[in-house]
Amino acid sequence: MPDKPKLAIYWAASCGGCEIAVVNLHEKILDVDAALDLMFCPCLMDTKRKDIEALPDRAIAVTLFNGALRTEENLEMARLLRRKSQVMVAFGSCAKGGCIPALANFSTREDLFRSIYLDNPSVENPDAIIPCGTTSFPEGDIHLPALLGRVKHLAQEVDVDYYIPGCPPESHQIWNVIEVILSGDLPPKGSTIGCGTLTVCDDCDRTKEDKRIPAFRRNYEFYPDPKACLLEQGLLCMGIATRSGCGAPCTKANMPCSGCYGAPDGISDQGAKMVAALGSVMDIGDTVGLSEAEISGRVSAFLSTIPDYAGLFYKYTLASSTLGGKVGR
Amino acid sequence: MKIGIYFCNCGSNIADKISSAAVAEAAGSFPEQTYFKTVDFICSEDGRLQFEESLKTELPDRVIVAACSPRDHEATFRRCLANAGLNPYLLQMVNIREQIAWVTEDPEVATAKAIRAIRGALYRVRLQQPLEKKELEVCPDALVIGAGPSGMKAAMALAEAGRSVVLVERTPMIGGLPVRFEELFPDLECAPCMLEPLMGELLHGDHAGKIELMTMSEVIEVTGFYGNFIARIRQLPRHVSLHECIGCGECAAACPAVTMNGFNNGASERKAIDFAFTGVLPNAPFLMEDVCVRSRGEECRACKDACPMGEDVVDLEQVEQIVERRIGAIILATGTGLYDASRVTGMGFGTFPDVYDALQFERLLSSTGPTAGEFLTRAGNVPSSLAIIHCVGSLDNDHKPYCSGICCQYAFKFNHLISARHPDTAITHYHRELVLPGKTAHTLFRHADRNANTSLKRYSSIDDLAVTLADDGRLQVSANGEDNVADMVVLCPAVIPAEGTGRLSALLDVGCDSSGFFRELHGRMDAAQSAIKGIYLAGSCQEPMDIQKAILQGMATAGYTLAGLQPGRTLEIEPINAEVDETRCAGCRLCISVCPYRAISFDSGHNASSVNAVLCHGCGTCVAACPAGAITGHHFTNDQIMAEIEGVLK
Repeated sequence: MPDKPKLAIYWAASCGGCEIAVVNLHEKILDVDAALDLMFCPCLMDTKRKDIEALPDRAIAVTLFNGALRTEENLEMARLLRRKSQVMVAFGSCAKGGCIPALANFSTREDLFRSIYLDNPSVENPDAIIPCGTTSFPEGDIHLPALLGRVKHLAQEVDVDYYIPGCPPESHQIWNVIEVILSGDLPPKGSTIGCGTLTVCDDCDRTKEDKRIPAFRRNYEFYPDPKACLLEQGLLCMGIATRSGCGAPCTKANMPCSGCYGAPDGISDQGAKMVAALGSVMDIGDTVGLSEAEISGRVSAFLSTIPDYAGLFYKYTLASSTLGGKVGR
Repeated sequence: MKIGIYFCNCGSNIADKISSAAVAEAAGSFPEQTYFKTVDFICSEDGRLQFEESLKTELPDRVIVAACSPRDHEATFRRCLANAGLNPYLLQMVNIREQIAWVTEDPEVATAKAIRAIRGALYRVRLQQPLEKKELEVCPDALVIGAGPSGMKAAMALAEAGRSVVLVERTPMIGGLPVRFEELFPDLECAPCMLEPLMGELLHGDHAGKIELMTMSEVIEVTGFYGNFIARIRQLPRHVSLHECIGCGECAAACPAVTMNGFNNGASERKAIDFAFTGVLPNAPFLMEDVCVRSRGEECRACKDACPMGEDVVDLEQVEQIVERRIGAIILATGTGLYDASRVTGMGFGTFPDVYDALQFERLLSSTGPTAGEFLTRAGNVPSSLAIIHCVGSLDNDHKPYCSGICCQYAFKFNHLISARHPDTAITHYHRELVLPGKTAHTLFRHADRNANTSLKRYSSIDDLAVTLADDGRLQVSANGEDNVADMVVLCPAVIPAEGTGRLSALLDVGCDSSGFFRELHGRMDAAQSAIKGIYLAGSCQEPMDIQKAILQGMATAGYTLAGLQPGRTLEIEPINAEVDETRCAGCRLCISVCPYRAISFDSGHNASSVNAVLCHGCGTCVAACPAGAITGHHFTNDQIMAEIEGVLK
C-alpha cells in the first residue's frame, strides 16, 4: 500500500467532544481512512508519544489539534506535533480561542486548587494534598504535568495554519475541510475554515424584525415562539455575533446560540462586539427628564438580569479576547 | 507614501507650549516619507495661501495639519486641499491647541504629547481614502400637514418663494384651533380677524395658486427620503367643490337632515350639508354622509337643486380619492388637543353638565359658537360664581409631567371676558403654579388680580380639589378644606398632541417623546427639525406653545425647506457616512433600530440592510453596533481608528 498522508488528532485540555464530532462522520470515516492514515489519536488509538517523537519532522500531513493549553504536557505536545506536522489545525473552539477551559483565567492556579482540593464540600482531604509536579511515595516518585499560569489557545504558543471553529465543529463541516485538504487546494494560511463567512443569523431561518429589547429573559422563564428571533424575545442569543456555518442547530431546537463558532472575520473580540450590539438595542425606556442616577439605575437593573458576563460573552473566546481574563499573561 | 505635516504655531497659543523644532525632529523618525513645515497662523489668509502653495509644490499623498480643533478649521483646510488639487478627505487634523497646549502646564510634556498625537494622525492618515461628495436631484416643493396657524404660515412663506405646496388638513376647515376662539391672549384680539389676512392670502392671494389645499384629507403613506418623498393622501369626499362654491348656504337651508354640530361641542344643530360654523374658511359647506338621508337609501337632491351656482358645485356621487404627490420636504403642523379631563378624578367633567373644558368654553364664548357668545348655565342663568381650575393634568406625574405653558394666560383671558360680560360674577382661580412668561403675559393677570370679584387660590395637589354637587343642587369646589359654590366650572386640562400624532409618527418614522409630541432633533438648536432629514416640526405638535411661537416655528420650517432645497440645485451628500457590505450582512436587522435618523432599511431581496446616504449623518452608531462587522463608517473605519491608537501608543 502506498503511503497515505498521515493524520493526527490530538486532545489537549478538552472534553472529547471534538473526537466525537469526527466519529459522527459516520460511514464517511471510511473515506477518511481510505485517503488518510490516521496514525495518532489518543482518544481512539494506542499510538504513544514516543511514536510521534520517533517520526521525522513534518512527517504528519495534518494534525487536528483540539483542546486548550492548560498544562505543561499540553504545551509540549503542541510543540511536538507542530514540529512533526506539515499542516497544524487549531480544531474546535478550545484550540481556537480557549473555550470553557479558558474561563479558568479568572482564577489563579492556587485559587483553582483551593476550590477543587481543599474547599470543595464533597472532597475529603485531611492532609490538604494538592497536585504538584513531583510527589514522592514509598514506591517511588510520580510526576504530574504542572498547570500553566493561564490557559492559552494554540496559536499563542505554536504557529497555526488553519482554524476550524465549533464546540465541537459540526461533522459536515469537518468533512468539507477534509475534502479541501485532500484536494490540495488549500486556502491562505491563517484562514478560519469549515465555516461560513456571515453570522449564525444567516443559518437561522427565524423571522427577524427591527430590534428593541425591553428585558432579557432566560430559557426557563418561558417557552419561546419557535418562529420569531430569539434575541427579539429577550433571550441572549449570541448568533448575531457568531460566525455562520453550523447550520444553527441550537436555534432550530429553540435554544439561543451560545456563540461556539466565535466571531466572524473582521471582528477581533466576539464578547466586546456582542456587548456593543446589545448595548445598542437594550430598551431602557424614555430617559428624558431622568437624572443620571436614575438612568444608570435602569441600565444596572437591565444588566443585572445577565447572571454571568464571562460565561455569556466569552464562553468560547476568553483566551483570545482583548482583555483575556484576570490572571496575567 | 509622502506625508506633509503642517504645524501651526497659532501665534503663541501653541508655540508657547509645544516646540515645533522638537516635533520636527521626532517626525524625522516617523515611518513614511514626511516633510515638516511650521506656519505662524495657518488659518489666516497668508497662512492658507502659503499652505496651498506648499501643497502644490510638494504634492503630498496625505496631509496632516497640527493646529486647532477640527471643529474650528477642518472645513477651511479641506478647502485648501481641494484648491491645491488634492482630495479634501486626505487631510487629518490634530488638535494640539485645545487638547494639548491649552491644558498642559509643562512644555516638555506638551511637546511629547503632541508628538504622540501627530504620530497617531500619521498612522491614521496613511489609511484614509479619497472620498467624493455625491449629488442628487431634488424636488424643492413641500407637503404641509395641518392648516393651523403654523402650517398656514409655513405654506404661505413657501408659496411666496415660488414653491408648490400641498397643504393637507384633516378637518373641513383651516385656521386650526384658534380660529374657533373669540378673543386671544394677550391683547384680546379677535381670533378669526387676526387669522383672516393669512387665511385670505392662502385661499385667494397672489400666491394662492402655488398652494394645493386638501381638506378632509389625511396622509396615508410616505415613501422616499429628503428631496424625493412621495406622499399618498386620502381625500374624503366633501361633496362640495371648494373652487366653485361661493358659500351662500342655500344648500344648508334646503337640507332636511339635522344633527348636532361637533364643532360646537354638540351644543347646537347643523344640517347634513352645512358649514362647520359661521364664518369658517374655506367658505364652503361639507356634507356629512352618515347624516344625509341618502345614506338611508332615500332619494334626495335638495341641496344640489338649491345651489344657485349650477349642477357641478354639489357632487352627491363624489367618492374618496387617493392622490399621490412628489415633494422634497414635509412640514408637520398637526397641532394639539386637550387631555381628557374626565381622567382626572374629582373634576366632575363628563358628569356635571356645567363643568366645561377650555375648548368647550372657548366655543361658548365665541360669537360663532352654539350660543353666539352668551354663556349661561345649563339651567339658563347667568352664573353668579364661576371656578377656573388650572393645571388639570399638567405638572402632575399621574397625568402629564410637563407644564402646558399657555393655560394660565387663557385662564386670565377667560377672567377678563367673563367679567366684561357679567361684572358681578365671582370668579375663583384654583392654580398650582402661575406661569406667565414674557413681556405681555402679565397684563391679563394684572387685570384679574385687581378685579375685586376675582380671587386666586393655590392648591398643592389636584387630589386636594373636588368638584361636587352641593345639597342645593349647585356645584361646589372643595379645596384645602374650604367649600365654594360655583355655578359653572372651567377646567384647563393639559395640552396634549393632536389625535393622530402617533399614527403619523409611525408612518413617517419620526419619533415621539414620552408625552407623545414629535421629538425634535435638538431641544435648543434644532427644535423645528425632526431627526429625519427633510421632515420639520411646526407649532404645537412639537410641544405646547402659543400662537406667536407656533407662527415663528412655522416660518422656521419654511426657512429650513428654502435653504435646503433649491430649484435647479442638487443636494450634496456628505461622503462621511456608513455603508453596509452586503456580502457580510446576515440580515439580523439590529442596525435598523439603532439608527437615530432612520437611515437604514432592510432590503429583503438581498437579505441585507442598506444605508440611505442622504439620511445618514455619519454618526457611526450602526458601525459600532453591527455584530457582524458588516458596516463601514467611511473616514472612521475600524482600521483607521485602531491605527491611530497604535500610533499614539507606539
